[in-house]
Amino acid sequence: MKRIESKINTASSDFQANAEHNRKLAEAFKAMQHKARHERPERDIQRLKAQDKMFVRERLKQLLDPGTPFLELSSLAANEAYEGDVPGAGVVCGIGVVSGREVLINAGDASVKGGAWYPLSVKKTVRALDIAIENRLPVVHLCDSAGGFLPLQAELFADKYYAGRIFRNQCMLSKMGVQQVAIVLGHCTAGGAYVPGLSDYNVIVRGTGAIFLAGPPLVKAATGEEVTVDELGGCDMHTSISGTADYPASSEEEAIAIARDIVGQFKRPDKTRIEWLPPEAPYYDPAELYGVLPRDIKQGFDIREVIARLVDGSRFHEYQPAYGKTLICGYAHLWGYKIGILANNGVLFNDSALKGAHFIELCNQNRTPILFLQNITGFMVGKEYEQRGITKDGAKMIMAVSNSEVPKITVMCHGSFGAGNYGMSGRAFDSRFLFSWPQSQISVMGAEQAANTLADVKIRQLARHGKQLSAEDIAAIRDPVVAEFKRKSSAYYSTSEIWDDGILDPVDTRNALGIAISAALNTPIGDPRYGIFRM
Amino acid sequence: MHHAFKLEDQEYNLELSRAPAGYRLHLADAMLPVNLHLEDDGSAVLTVQGRSERVLVATRGDDVFIHLGGVAYQLRYEHPLQRLAAQSQGSAADHVRAPMPGSLVALHAKPGQAVARGETLLVMESMKMETTIAAPRDGVVEVVHFAVGQTFDRDALLLEMKNVD
Amino acid sequence: MNSIPHPEILRAARKRAANWPFRSVLIANRGEIAVRILRTVQSLGLEGVVVYHAADRKAPAVSVADRAIEITGTTPVAAYLDAKQILAAAKASGAGAIHPGYGFLSENAGFARAVADAGLSFVGPTPEQIELMGDKVRARAFVAKGGFPVAPSAIEDDDPATFAERALKLPFPLLIKPAAGGGGKGMRIVRDAAQLGGEIERARSEGQRYFGDGRLYVERYIENPRHIEVQVLGDAHGKVVHLFERECSVQRRFQKIVEETPSPALDAELRQRICETAAGIARSAGYRNAGTVEFIFGQGGEFYFLEMNTRLQVEHPVTEMITGKDLVLEQLRLAAGEPLGYAQEQVTSQGHAIEFRIYAEDPSRGYTPTTGPVLKLRAPEGAGIRVDSGIVEGQDVTAAFDPMLAKLIVGGKDRTEAIARADWALADYALLGCVTNTAFLRRLLNHQAFVDGQVHTGFLDEHPEIAAQPALDPATLHRLLAGAALVTRPMRDAADLVPDLHAAIGAWSN
Repeated sequence: MKRIESKINTASSDFQANAEHNRKLAEAFKAMQHKARHERPERDIQRLKAQDKMFVRERLKQLLDPGTPFLELSSLAANEAYEGDVPGAGVVCGIGVVSGREVLINAGDASVKGGAWYPLSVKKTVRALDIAIENRLPVVHLCDSAGGFLPLQAELFADKYYAGRIFRNQCMLSKMGVQQVAIVLGHCTAGGAYVPGLSDYNVIVRGTGAIFLAGPPLVKAATGEEVTVDELGGCDMHTSISGTADYPASSEEEAIAIARDIVGQFKRPDKTRIEWLPPEAPYYDPAELYGVLPRDIKQGFDIREVIARLVDGSRFHEYQPAYGKTLICGYAHLWGYKIGILANNGVLFNDSALKGAHFIELCNQNRTPILFLQNITGFMVGKEYEQRGITKDGAKMIMAVSNSEVPKITVMCHGSFGAGNYGMSGRAFDSRFLFSWPQSQISVMGAEQAANTLADVKIRQLARHGKQLSAEDIAAIRDPVVAEFKRKSSAYYSTSEIWDDGILDPVDTRNALGIAISAALNTPIGDPRYGIFRM
Repeated sequence: MHHAFKLEDQEYNLELSRAPAGYRLHLADAMLPVNLHLEDDGSAVLTVQGRSERVLVATRGDDVFIHLGGVAYQLRYEHPLQRLAAQSQGSAADHVRAPMPGSLVALHAKPGQAVARGETLLVMESMKMETTIAAPRDGVVEVVHFAVGQTFDRDALLLEMKNVD
Repeated sequence: MNSIPHPEILRAARKRAANWPFRSVLIANRGEIAVRILRTVQSLGLEGVVVYHAADRKAPAVSVADRAIEITGTTPVAAYLDAKQILAAAKASGAGAIHPGYGFLSENAGFARAVADAGLSFVGPTPEQIELMGDKVRARAFVAKGGFPVAPSAIEDDDPATFAERALKLPFPLLIKPAAGGGGKGMRIVRDAAQLGGEIERARSEGQRYFGDGRLYVERYIENPRHIEVQVLGDAHGKVVHLFERECSVQRRFQKIVEETPSPALDAELRQRICETAAGIARSAGYRNAGTVEFIFGQGGEFYFLEMNTRLQVEHPVTEMITGKDLVLEQLRLAAGEPLGYAQEQVTSQGHAIEFRIYAEDPSRGYTPTTGPVLKLRAPEGAGIRVDSGIVEGQDVTAAFDPMLAKLIVGGKDRTEAIARADWALADYALLGCVTNTAFLRRLLNHQAFVDGQVHTGFLDEHPEIAAQPALDPATLHRLLAGAALVTRPMRDAADLVPDLHAAIGAWSN
């Protein structure tokens, strides 16, 4: 496998300008993350202190093995929702190492609205448990939630992927033999009670932890019975009388230590074996990614420069280097793992789509996980291409992507527009993980294009009613549309809505992918099987 | 920091993690690259921050003995679950331990007996000297672990106390 | 350092030993001294037999001996004090001689007599000599009568009615001692005449308690004295030589910790005077076998007879190191009836030797004894280094016996070289599983006063900082924690369980 020869002049003013621009974006992202993780109203800080509770970040630090990585998922979920009042959607999810086992962590953040579940909290939790199911990751639940946020209950309670799905996913995990341990660090009321209830093991903290279907006030209202929290669902009651909880703990620290010991009993997975070589750092510095990525979403760049800054030794075996050149396909190693890469170098033509479909089949044939690096403006349009069957060639690629058995991981490197999003394993196509870079954008078409389309519709409507529009009138219609479109196509909106599993600083991508691939290999890779490829 | 060692009555919290080569020692105020390589002759080469030296190491239960720089040290490992459980089970004042090796000469308290702080619990003898062990606090004697005439090592648990109900 | 004794001497002795009245020697002792005696016994081609209590089953003497016979007792110590069992063991094993070592039955006249009555050779002086020197009061009187220096004193037995009155006439401060005592027990210093009466009563009750004998005597107390003793050897033909002095001033709780020879306190003239005094005392008693005359030595150079030990001393190796004589060989020869065979002038000394007693004790906790398993044991080796050890790996150090585990004897061409070697050797002496005093001994030997030879029996009380646990420097602490963490299974396993990838990425987060 030969090294990619970078053609970038890192001393060029363009590279430098890109680097400065993208570095600032990464810093802004990190600043937002920091805020979402650590900045809380004083009132909430004091409340936790008064309850003798640790912050969720402190709990995680105690839970995770020292000197090991933590891949946090959707750290900026809900950052554009609920007036920004529910940072991280009030849940911390991620993949970390506990007692030497890779686990998924689902931790309520009681410093955010007492840990109340908002619609996006539910979505984030369901997604995290989907990740656990797909990658057979044991789960550690840190339960500390006030329950569903009632004003928005209609958006989180009843639908297929709403709160019930959390419990359904727990049951699926259990059926699959993927173990779960819950640490009850606060009240688990109503549905929340099922999180520890459906876990294989659970630990409860004396004094602060409680599990019940209804708390004392509701019990009083319903039956008139007067009962204390401890009597109703406290640590000693549940561990010695009801058997709902397994291990009593006298402090959060002890509860976490017990949970660590429990995870230490979990059978370690037999990893799916794929090709592997001892890891090697990329030859080209990943920090140069800042200079590779253009400042303008419309500007193209050679995606091989990105590949060179992600993979081991910057080595890449390029498949069909002379055919379908707008889609780069090939093999590389990442943190030692052999992967197949599909990466966009322009709009998808017939040949690129066919090449992509073929390469996906190759990767499935030889059990090689696939990394999609998206920078796609879509499939080529126009009479010529339709006549050549661009739709059916695109359909072949989508068929191959959809039915791929090997794990897929997608990174939104830059633009992701139109059906290209689908062909390159967008959110709907069950990539095991999907990450976005800060400057990336997703929409059905480009913002300007879309705004113009929308504005034209409006202008024609008005024209039918005989209204003549000045340039100012047109701008007044068009500009808000553009602004709204841009907002909703930004990575921050995507991540707020949990269309991805989080924004990544580009330099963090290599580690995130390594952890993701490792997790993905907990699940056996099935035999390839597809539907009908329209020929 | 879950793990801890006791050295000279002082408790140190620490963690160990694996590095690509060797290990990392995580302390409250530092993180150091460390490694230990056992030699055929029973000694070991200890490397801390790139500096290596030959040491002699032995363990017995939770006790770790290290001869380092011409001095032998004894450390006692405290497993997180034991340490945290002990923290929650009240103070060390409930456990009366032998200040030195010796034998039990006289017993002044029996299980179930209420004692006041400072009251004589038992008398032990070591090096032909009698030492009186007094109640560390008010409470009730729960268990006495030795009978008169029996010998014990230093730190042996002589007697356990509980709260007055 | 040359081998001791010289191979020629050993060869000759070995030849003569074929005609000795005994061909087998039973050692009625344990620990390092049993091993030490066995070495010479076996080097002479004699059979070495030991008795042992079950608590010593794993001890090196048991495995080194040609025969080992188990004895029992209500306590382990009682077994080694049980003359009847030991004599029975001697009979059963066919031993022709009994070497008592030090402590236990070594200064028990009754035992010496019983040995003789059983037709065996006792490797030591006559029962009468043991009796004479065993009674401090009688011994003093005997020595004083011979014209040798004794401290101004009042002996209760002389006239109990006037005891206190006579004591008051002595120059203060005074030291009250039990007549039957030893090892510093029951001794009391009186600085004020008004306190004398009360202290006499307390000393009497302690003497009664420890020795079953309340008789006392009072002598002038010498401030900051040195303890200097002289090794003597006498044969059955009235011939006595000395093998120079040993200084044993570094003591804790009246027990010796460090002994050396020559004494840094003596010049040639004083050395000769004190050594000849000792030889003279032994000679006047017709002393047979190895013995030690102990003196109390004042800062002004005055010295007084303290007592005579009628046995092999713990610290005998330093004498061996500078004189080249094997004292156990000499003892056996003399017990076999051989004449000394050399004159005083033929006893020469070369270089400097220091002995360090390695104790299972914690100096920072008032020298309280420590116990534990001997998990790892590594003794230093090299030129000028001798280790007499009574322990091996796998043994347990218990509170059943004296806490002395081993002795490190270091020689050099002069005191400076010996000290430097000792520092290295003590650092290299590693015993894991039980706290020992080796680090303390290093602090002691590096103390300026010790380096200068300016020590006295109260030296350690005057400098409690030597016994105190020094503060740990952060670098050492880090190294200790690192070493401990790396050998502690729950910690090492937890680290090792982390998958390669995650270990390689380390503490990263996105």
